[in-house]
Amino acid sequence: MATGGADLLIEKMSDPTITLSVFRYNSDKSGGEPTFQDYDVPYREEWVVLDALNYIKDYVDGSLSYRWSCRMGVCGSCGTMVNGEPKLTCSTFLRAYYPESIRVEPLEHFPVVRDLVIEMDDFMDKLQAVKPWVVRDEEKPVEEGEYLQTPEELADFKQFSMCINCMLCYSACPVYGLEDGFIGPAALALAHRYNMDTRDKGEDERAHVIASSEGIWECTFVGECSVVCPKGVDPAAAIQRTKVETTKNWFKSILMPWGSK
Amino acid sequence: MNPLQESRDQKVYRPSMSSVWWLKKRNYFLFMMRELSSVFVAAFVVLFMYQLFLISEGEQTYGQFKESLHEPQFIVFYIIAFFFSVYHTITWFSVASKVQIVRIGTWTMPPAMVTGGAFVGWMGISAMVGWFFWI
Repeated sequence: MATGGADLLIEKMSDPTITLSVFRYNSDKSGGEPTFQDYDVPYREEWVVLDALNYIKDYVDGSLSYRWSCRMGVCGSCGTMVNGEPKLTCSTFLRAYYPESIRVEPLEHFPVVRDLVIEMDDFMDKLQAVKPWVVRDEEKPVEEGEYLQTPEELADFKQFSMCINCMLCYSACPVYGLEDGFIGPAALALAHRYNMDTRDKGEDERAHVIASSEGIWECTFVGECSVVCPKGVDPAAAIQRTKVETTKNWFKSILMPWGSK
Repeated sequence: MNPLQESRDQKVYRPSMSSVWWLKKRNYFLFMMRELSSVFVAAFVVLFMYQLFLISEGEQTYGQFKESLHEPQFIVFYIIAFFFSVYHTITWFSVASKVQIVRIGTWTMPPAMVTGGAFVGWMGISAMVGWFFWI
């Protein structure tokens, strides 16, 4: 028994570990200045960064704060900067970095409430401003059936409806970092998604937000929002297409003021 | 602002953005180069317009200006402007299919065809302009 215990101890001691250098911020401690704290956690090939954070929270330092929920890339809660790249910690494997250490920081361009927890009020306000839902002038009675769409009509906006509001695109967007007022990639992509939906009648209601100086025209097409999106959404394309549509609508309103869009 | 919000605002940490953020990633750097290329494209256009204006000022004035174009600073400028113009065009045409969906009836043109069409059009027009100056 004793030998078995020693073997287990030796095995445990020889287990590979990986170092996580985690951003820590607590306004009541460290003089209100952020610091980095290193944690050695067991390395498992099947572990993602979120597993390592959960290990720290459960066994090493219960004061570490971060958001997560679904653990399967759907809820969009666990976005952080992993080695300077915006990532979902639930789908970023340790093996992509091992044996090097991993730096984990809160999403860039957002105020930090504590450790890896960011304040997302600004995003939520902007998201709501673009009315990301189907707007109808008038609902038809249920007896008249569904609002039908062709596969082609669905294809026009389907990829943009995959957005999970994880805000990685905001973190990757330097324009959002430099211009607080910028509506930002995800909200504009969702506005485009609903504008392209044949069931929706809210284009005019969204226009004053998306075509404002803080909307699509702030975007300089860096394109990094589309690169970091974990769901394969292309917000950069959505914004450029909205620019084209808005310009066409503007010309139409000048050349054919009597016509409707 | 209500006191609760004010107290919360004081407690959050607001990181500032580095002035050299565009050196952090390759894509950011390439983006900044694309933005910078606009300066050279614009400078080239201004110079070209000035050249056209000088034609109206007579053969001698235009000839003097044309002669000055052989000076090293102009040659260096035109080489840089040429490469930046090519870079600017390639980077924009490469994303053309993201910006414009081309649809004929119910058929949607594949993105590669949109991008390829832009490049073919560019080559064709360049060849025509080249031919015009050659003859």
